[in-house]
Amino acid sequence: MTMAPNPPVERQRSTLVRGFLLARTLVRMHPRDFAIAVFGAFIFGSCTVASSKAIEWVVDHVILPRFRDGRVAVGAVVTGCMLVICIGLVRAVGVVLRRTFAGIVKWRVAQDLTMSVVERLVSQPLRWHQRHQSGDLIARAGVDVDMATEILSPLPFAAGTVLMVVMSSVWLLLTDIPLGIVAVILFPLLTSMNVIYQRKVSPHYRAAQAQLGMLSAAVHESFEGVMVVKAFGAEAREADRLAVIAARLREARMRTVSLRATFEAALDAIPALGNIGLLIIGTARVQSGSLTVGALTSFLYMFTLLVFPLRLIGWALSQLPSSLAGWDRVREILDEPIGADPTEALLAPAPGIGVDLRGVSFSYDENTPVVRDLTTSIPVGSTVAVVGATGSGKTTLLELVAGLLAPDRGTIAVAGRSPSMVFQEAFLLSGSIADNVGLGGQFDGAEIDEALRLADATEFVSTLPTGAGTIVGERGVSLSGGQRQRVALARALVRRPEVLLLDDTTSALDPSTESRILANLRTALSSSTTLLVASRPSTIALADAVLFVVDGTIRAHGTHASLLESDADYRELVEAYEHDRDAP
Amino acid sequence: MSFDHGELGAAATIGRGVRAVPELRQGLGLTVFLAVIGAAGRVTVPIAIQQAVDHGLRPGNVDLGRVVLLGIIASTAVLLATTAQRFAVARLGKRSEYALYGLRVRLFGHIHRLSMEDHAEERRGALVARVTSDIETLTQFFAWGGLAWLLDGTLMVLVSGVMLAYNWVLACVAFVVAAPLFLVLRFVQRRLVLAYHASREMNGSTMGQVSEVVTGAHVVRSYRVERRIIDDTHRVAARRTAAQVHTSRLAAFLFPSGELFSVLTVAAVVSIGVALGPDSGLSAGALVGFLFLTYRFLEPIAEFTEIMDQTQSAVAGLRRILGVLDMPVGPAEASTPQLLPPGALGVDIERVTFMYRARPGVDEEDVPALIDVSLSIPPAQRVAVVGATGSGKSTMARLLSRLVDPTAGAVRVGGVDLRNVANADLRGRAMLVPQEPFLFDGTIETNLAFARPGLSRREISNAFVRLQLDDWLFSLQAGLDTEVGERGERLSAGERQLIALVRAYLASPDLLLLDEATSAVDPLTEVRIGRALEKLSAGRTTIAIAHRLSTAARADRVLVMDHGLLVEDGSHEELLARGGVYAGLYAHWLDATGSAG
Repeated sequence: MTMAPNPPVERQRSTLVRGFLLARTLVRMHPRDFAIAVFGAFIFGSCTVASSKAIEWVVDHVILPRFRDGRVAVGAVVTGCMLVICIGLVRAVGVVLRRTFAGIVKWRVAQDLTMSVVERLVSQPLRWHQRHQSGDLIARAGVDVDMATEILSPLPFAAGTVLMVVMSSVWLLLTDIPLGIVAVILFPLLTSMNVIYQRKVSPHYRAAQAQLGMLSAAVHESFEGVMVVKAFGAEAREADRLAVIAARLREARMRTVSLRATFEAALDAIPALGNIGLLIIGTARVQSGSLTVGALTSFLYMFTLLVFPLRLIGWALSQLPSSLAGWDRVREILDEPIGADPTEALLAPAPGIGVDLRGVSFSYDENTPVVRDLTTSIPVGSTVAVVGATGSGKTTLLELVAGLLAPDRGTIAVAGRSPSMVFQEAFLLSGSIADNVGLGGQFDGAEIDEALRLADATEFVSTLPTGAGTIVGERGVSLSGGQRQRVALARALVRRPEVLLLDDTTSALDPSTESRILANLRTALSSSTTLLVASRPSTIALADAVLFVVDGTIRAHGTHASLLESDADYRELVEAYEHDRDAP
Repeated sequence: MSFDHGELGAAATIGRGVRAVPELRQGLGLTVFLAVIGAAGRVTVPIAIQQAVDHGLRPGNVDLGRVVLLGIIASTAVLLATTAQRFAVARLGKRSEYALYGLRVRLFGHIHRLSMEDHAEERRGALVARVTSDIETLTQFFAWGGLAWLLDGTLMVLVSGVMLAYNWVLACVAFVVAAPLFLVLRFVQRRLVLAYHASREMNGSTMGQVSEVVTGAHVVRSYRVERRIIDDTHRVAARRTAAQVHTSRLAAFLFPSGELFSVLTVAAVVSIGVALGPDSGLSAGALVGFLFLTYRFLEPIAEFTEIMDQTQSAVAGLRRILGVLDMPVGPAEASTPQLLPPGALGVDIERVTFMYRARPGVDEEDVPALIDVSLSIPPAQRVAVVGATGSGKSTMARLLSRLVDPTAGAVRVGGVDLRNVANADLRGRAMLVPQEPFLFDGTIETNLAFARPGLSRREISNAFVRLQLDDWLFSLQAGLDTEVGERGERLSAGERQLIALVRAYLASPDLLLLDEATSAVDPLTEVRIGRALEKLSAGRTTIAIAHRLSTAARADRVLVMDHGLLVEDGSHEELLARGGVYAGLYAHWLDATGSAG
C-alpha cells in the first residue's frame, strides 16, 4: 500500500498542526455550512458572557437595593428579567444554529468522503482488490471516514468557547486585574487538565475496545463451532477459554475506572476551589472598593457557566489523534494511483480464433509464478474444459482471459474483447433477479427470460412470489447455492458473449441439471467460445477439447479420449473418481 | 422458545437481574453513602456564596476574615466530598465490571449447553449479541447512566433540600417553573431516539452497499457496472445523510430548551424573591445562592432524559439476557445416569419420530423429519444411510449423537436409552463428524488437540501415520503448525474433512457417525478421505450418512430414507437386486459420474 505523499514531513508535524490541516481540508468541502455553524457559536459565546453581565445588573440594581435599602423598583425588576430572558433566547438561537449546521457539515463531508472511497474502489482492477482485505476496505469507507470527520463536530463549539474565554478574560482584566489574572490562570489549567485526562484515558479505552473486539470474534467463532464443542464434550473447556478473554476485557476496563474516578473528582474539585478563590480575592477587592458585589457575583456565575465548555474542548482535542489516524487510512485509498485496466491489453485474435494465448505468464509475487508461458489457440465456437488439480492455476488462467488480470509477460487475444465470466462463488447484488441478470445492460424481458431458460432457472424462478421481479440478496428472498449459480450464469448468457468463461460454475448443481445446461449452451450459443473449469468426468467428456493444466503450465491440449490414452497423470487425476466408484 | 420476555415489566426485570448478578449488591450501601457526601461537595459553592453575601459583604462593612474562614471551611468540604465521590465512582465501576464479567461467563456456559436447534444459523447472531452487544448496553449503563443516577440523583435531592431550607416558597416556584422542562425534554428525546435509530439503519444499508462493492468487485469489473454501482451507493449515502441531518436538527433543540427554562426560572425566582423581600426571612445571599442552585438543579434534568433512554435499553438488554438464561439446556442431562457398556456400541432405534419446531413466519406447524423409524444395528457393523436431501438422513445422525432428542420413541445405544446417559459419558463414546467440519482459527495441531485434553504432539502425528495421511501432512509447508485460518478457510473443503477425521480418530469413539460432505473435492483428496475412513471405521460401529453411493457400496448394510421413512434396508447387492429406490439412485449416480469417453 502506498503511503501519504510526503511521509517524513507529515511525521515531523505536530498533531495540532496536522489536525488544523485536516480541519481546513474538510471545512473547504462545505465552507458555507461551516460558516453558519461558527456564526451560531459566536452568538452563543457572546450571549454567555452577556448573561453574566445581566446577572451583575440584577444583583446590583434589583436584589441588593431591595434587601439592603428596602426599595422595590418595579421597572428595574422588569428590565432585569427581560434582560435575562432575551439574552437566554438569543443564546438558544445561537445554539440551534451551531448544532444544526455543525451536524450538516460533518454528515455532508462524511458522504463526500465515503463516495470518493467507493469511486476509488470500483476503479481499481481485480489485482488491487486481491491485495486488500475486504473487511479493511469496508472499514475505510465506513468507520475511518467517521473517525476522520469526527474532528468537525466540536469545531464550531470550540470556536465559540475560545471567543467566550477571550471575551471574559479581557473583560475580567479590564474590570479588575487581580481577579482577571486568577481567571486567566484557571481557564488554561482546566483545559489542559482535560487534555491530560483524555490523553491518559484514551489508550486504555482503545485497549478495552480492542479486547472487546477480540471477545466478540472469539464468541462468534465458539458459537459457530458449537457442533464441534458438543461433539467433543468441550462445553466447559470452551466456557473457561472465553472466560479468560472476558477477564482480560474486565481488567482493561478496570484500568479506565480508577483513572476516570480520580480525574472526574479532580475536574469537579478544581472549578469549585477556583470559585472559592475568586470569592476570597473578590471580597478583598470589594473591601477596597474597586468591585461591586454584583460584579463579583457575575464573575462567579460566568466561571460556573464556562466549566462545561472547557471540559468539551479538552475532549475535542483528545479526539485529534484518532481523527488523524482515520484520515490517514482514508487517504491511503484516495492517494493510491488507479491500476491499469487489464482489458485494454486484450487483443483481437485472427479470424476463426476465439481465444489465443502467446507466452502468457502471471505471478502474484515475483518468485512464485501462478501460470507460466501459456500458449494455446482455441477455435471460435468450441468448448474447452480446463482440467487440473487444486492450485494448478485454472482460475488464474480464466481471470487472465477475462481481462481481470494483466499478464506479466505474453499476449492474450479474445474474440469480441469483452468476455463474460461466471465465477465459482455466485455473487448477487441486492435487487431483483431480472436486475441481477440485466445488471446495467439494456435487455428486454424476453431476453432475460430466455437467458434464465438457458441457465435452467425458469422453473425455480416461476415458483418465486413475483417471478424474475423477486428481490434477492440480504433484504430479499434467499436463494440456494445452485439457484444463485444459475442466476449468475444467466447474467453471462444474456450478453451473448463471444467468449464465455465458467469457473467451476456448474459443479454445485446436480449432474442432470448440469448436463441440461451444457446442452442448452451448445445449441443456443453455438458460435460462442467456451472455456470451463470442470472436474466431473461426465462434464469433461462433453467438451470438444481439454486443456490439462499442471503447476501453472499447459501440459497437454487435446481431446479427453486422447489425453486419457497418452497422459498417465491426466488419467490418474480424472480416474480418481472412477477409482472411487469402482472400489466396492 | 423466545429470546424476549415481553411480559416481564421493567421493575421485575431489574429485580431478577439483581438476583441473577449477586456481585452487584455487594457494598452498594457504602457506595450510595459516599455518593451523597460527594453531592454535598457540589452544593458547597452556592452555600459559600450565600454566606459571603449575607455575612461578609455587607454594605460598608466587608468582613474579609470571615470570608477567608468561610473559604477554608468550604475548600475542606469540597476536598472531602470529591474524595468521597472518587471512591463512590470507582466502587460502582469496579463492582459493575465484576458483575458483568460474571454474567458473561454464566452466559457462555449456558449458551454452549443449549440444544443444536437453538444454535441454528439464523439464531447465532442473536446469541452472539446476547454476550456482546446486550452486555455492552449494560456496561454503557453502568459507566454513564448508572453513575448519573447515583451522582445526579443525590445532587438533585440535596439541591432541592438546600433550596427548601433557604425559602420554601421560592423553592416551589423554581420547581414549578422548571417542571415542564422535563416534559419537553422527554418529548424531544423520544423523537430523537427514533431519529437515531433511523440514522443507524441508513448507515447499515450504506455499509451493506459498500460491502457489496467490495465483495462483488470481480463481478463489477467483469460486467462493467461501475457507474451503476456508484449511482446506487450515492443514492443510499444521500439517504443516510438526510437521516443524520434530521437527527442533528432534533438534537439541536434538546440542549437550548434546558437553557431557556433556566433563564425563565432565574427570572421567576428573582421577581418573586424581590416581591417577598426581607420580611419573609429571605436574605440577599440566599437569593443570589438561588441563582447558582438553579443552574445546579437544571443541569441534571437534561442528563436524566438521556439516561432514561439508556436505562430503557439497558433494561431491554437485560431482559433479553435473562431470556437466554431461561432457555432450557438441550438435551436435558439425565437425572440418574446409566453407564454405557464398554467396547463397540450397538444401536437400537425404537419407533422414533422427530419434528423440527416451526420457524416463525415460515412454517405453519412443526415439520416432521423422521416418522416412526425402527431398526437395530449390531456392534461394529458399518452402515450407510442414503436418500435425497430432506429425507431425514442428517436428523438420524443428530439423534444418534444426542444433539437432539426424539419427539416420540427411543434411541438406545449399547442398550441404554440415550436420555439416561450422562452427556460426558456419551460425548466420549459417540462421535459425529459433520458435513462441513468446523475448524477453529489456529494451527492444525491446536485443532486436533481439541479432541481430548492432554494430547501430546507425538500422539497427534502418530494419528496421521495410522490414517495414512502422513504424506499429506508432509506436503504442507508447516506440517502440524500450518495455520488453518478462520473456519479453516486456508484449507480446501477436502482438507478440512481430513482434519476432522483425524480429530475424530484421536477422540477414539466406539460409535462413529459420519455426515458425508456433498461438495466436490479434488480427486486426490477424495482418495485420501476414503483411505482414512477405512482405517477410522475399523472395529467401530460406523453409521455414514452417504451422499456418494461409492460409500454405500462399501458398507455392510444400506438404509434408504425417503421423506422421513425408512424405505429399504439391506446390503448393497441385495438392494440392487431388488430394483427399488436404491437401484434407481445408484443407476443415476453411475450415469452422472461415469466418463462418457
